[in-house]
Amino acid sequence: MGSAIYNWLDERLGLTEAMALAREKRVPVHGHSFWYYWGGITLFLFIAQALTGVLLLVYFRPGADAYESVRQITYQMHFGWLIRSAHSWCANLMIFAIFVHMFSVFFMKAYRRPREFGWFTGLALLALTMLFGFSGYLLPMDELSYFATKVGLQIPAGVTLIGPAIEDMIRGGAEVGEFTVQRFFALHVVVLPALFLPLLGLHLWLVQKHGNAVPPAEEAKPAAARLSIPFFPNFFAKDLAMWLIALNVLALLASLFPWGLGRPGDPLVPAPPGIHPEWYFMSSFEMLKVLGRWFPGAAGEALGMIIFNAGLVLWFLIPFYDGSNDSGRRGRIAHYFGLLVLFVLVVTTAAGYQSLK
Amino acid sequence: MNYPFWDVPLIGSGWVIGCIAIFHVMISHFAVGGGFYLPLAERKALKEGRAEWLQTLRGHARFFLVLTGVFGAISGVGIWFAIGLTHPEATSTLIHNFVFGWAIEWVFFIVELTTAAVYYYTWGRIPDALHLKVGWVYAGASFCTLVIINGILTFMLTPGEPWLQVAGTGAEASRFWQAFFNPTYWPSLFLRTVVCTSLAGVWALVTTSRIDGVKQPALKIELVRWSVKWLVPSFVLMPLLLGWYLWMVPVSQRALLSLGMSTIGSGAFTQVTRAALVIVMSSATILAIVYFLAYRNPLDFTFSHAVAVVGVALMATASAEYSREMLRKPYVVGRHMFSNGMRVKSVAAANRNGYLAHTMWTRTNVSPQYARGEAIFRGECMSCHTVDGYRSMRLLLNGRNRASIANLLTMLHDYKPDSPYRRFMPPLAGTDEEVRLLGDYLDHLENGAGAQ
Repeated sequence: MGSAIYNWLDERLGLTEAMALAREKRVPVHGHSFWYYWGGITLFLFIAQALTGVLLLVYFRPGADAYESVRQITYQMHFGWLIRSAHSWCANLMIFAIFVHMFSVFFMKAYRRPREFGWFTGLALLALTMLFGFSGYLLPMDELSYFATKVGLQIPAGVTLIGPAIEDMIRGGAEVGEFTVQRFFALHVVVLPALFLPLLGLHLWLVQKHGNAVPPAEEAKPAAARLSIPFFPNFFAKDLAMWLIALNVLALLASLFPWGLGRPGDPLVPAPPGIHPEWYFMSSFEMLKVLGRWFPGAAGEALGMIIFNAGLVLWFLIPFYDGSNDSGRRGRIAHYFGLLVLFVLVVTTAAGYQSLK
Repeated sequence: MNYPFWDVPLIGSGWVIGCIAIFHVMISHFAVGGGFYLPLAERKALKEGRAEWLQTLRGHARFFLVLTGVFGAISGVGIWFAIGLTHPEATSTLIHNFVFGWAIEWVFFIVELTTAAVYYYTWGRIPDALHLKVGWVYAGASFCTLVIINGILTFMLTPGEPWLQVAGTGAEASRFWQAFFNPTYWPSLFLRTVVCTSLAGVWALVTTSRIDGVKQPALKIELVRWSVKWLVPSFVLMPLLLGWYLWMVPVSQRALLSLGMSTIGSGAFTQVTRAALVIVMSSATILAIVYFLAYRNPLDFTFSHAVAVVGVALMATASAEYSREMLRKPYVVGRHMFSNGMRVKSVAAANRNGYLAHTMWTRTNVSPQYARGEAIFRGECMSCHTVDGYRSMRLLLNGRNRASIANLLTMLHDYKPDSPYRRFMPPLAGTDEEVRLLGDYLDHLENGAGAQ
């Protein structure tokens, strides 16, 4: 009976081919294998975001009612607070996981030929995830999210020439208000997912097609000395165990440190002290501030923007500079560039938090 | 206030007990469960002539001896040290009631520690049958320590009607056995016993995961699977036993479990619900990991997996013990003594004569106008609250002004049947003047009114 059903489905869906495809892929085993889990962890957290997000969607009301509906979710719906806390914590964990994934890919040189598009799509997914975070942060419309969004909008506003126009368009008016919530909501639940999902599909397909990259040290070994295990079911089982750990961390954070809800956001009330963007925007926020201090005036602002964007472009285009396994000196320079970026990110983030005090 | 107060900043003195106790529970339950694991495994190995099993078991016995004999014993004494400092009033009640129980307990401790050492050091030096007997003596003694301490622990949640009738009369010890075999004694004993067996399995995985799967694949498969089976009783029986336990807990305490379902509002007591969620989550994770990773793929089961399982088990244990403690609110000894050490029967007297009537000293580093308020805060609030850390008073007052603080304190002082705080907080005992003094101090804490 079971096999009859399987055969029926197999003939129509090609299950055997899919299984063969999954079995064919092998995952290398070496000292840095740990970093292979982070893409999977990110994927898991994204799935958790989609599920909890849909549950929140059931009760959330964008527009003027936004705060009240989040208040109901947090204080009245059974376990509404849990779903909301899980969604907020998961967003932070997901961005953290992407950063770990990105830097591990960078230092393992997994962006080199033929994996350039894995790198590009990955960066695009990171940018979309940060937009998810930014748009989602405003939706409760409490004091914190209101003022943090106001502050955060300074980043797009800083873009030369078109910045203010972009800011106005995102905000839906001269001030952050119910129209902003409406726009952010549309962005958060329709526009961004519509962009994110196909990109994610492409990204995953590329991983399946090219397999895991091995770090250069491992590549130098003779083929016989390299160990690997099949992706399915061996690595998949380990992946699932990691997902389980991620789920536990998420559950622990969401239940023990539930996300609170502040007072309603009110433009007439002075901003509470210590308002700042979320930690993943802290670095760009601080960098723009510092560059603004170094190069005062309009020309300086433009120069600051150019430096800032040049860094982003270089980061994006790294596969073209360090594109093959035998690029020797370029490989080393790319490595130092990566360390520099990591250092700048950490230092500016820390400086950002320091300057709040 | 008859005793000085031990002020531990940020985490509060309660968490000092908590941290030591959670660590102790992880080990002491292993000491009981592992006490059965070792002789049962040894018996099986001897009967079926599995020499390589004995080799691994000997290593496990050493791990067991060090963990239980050193860390278990020290942390056990640490609990004593911490509860005496943190909760002198409650500790005194327990000693007056159970001093004989503890005397029995110490006999079993000595037998337990001795036989554990004898069991390890005589491995291969005395006849197998005798060695196995030592193992069984250990198992018996160690189980008895659970049998005894369980009576005292469950007493604190449900002292039972017979004991409550004589509480405070000086004749409490006459109801020793009723207090010992109190309403939650049996469900708790069974519950803890299955936890012991599963922790025996969890800790055994630490040893068995280290068997080299390439050199001795058969041994690793057998022993890992055999260890996993020790988790079966708890996963089958746990829901039933937990139901039984909760059924024996007074309705008012059980209600604390559902407080956190609908809200996380500031000041609402939702910790029990949240910790209970973590118990369910972490138990399910252990089940999934030991089945899919350990049982299905014993050869791929590594030492780090085993350590991860111990970590998740620690999460489950910590949240379970935490929930059990919280379930007692607002009492430290059910219906007899409030969680701040105030006896239920003494509240009326304190309201009449003053809470500070027997307090000899106030602090000199607090300005005189707040010193008495601060002393009340220390005595009546700080058993559960800290100024800036755990259950932070500053955070919970949430910007209230003096009038609003006064309203809150009046509500706590009047302790009317419909007061929402009654479900988890003790009444505020003291005269109207003292309530005002405490209010002044809290206002000073929150709004910095007046000069220090």
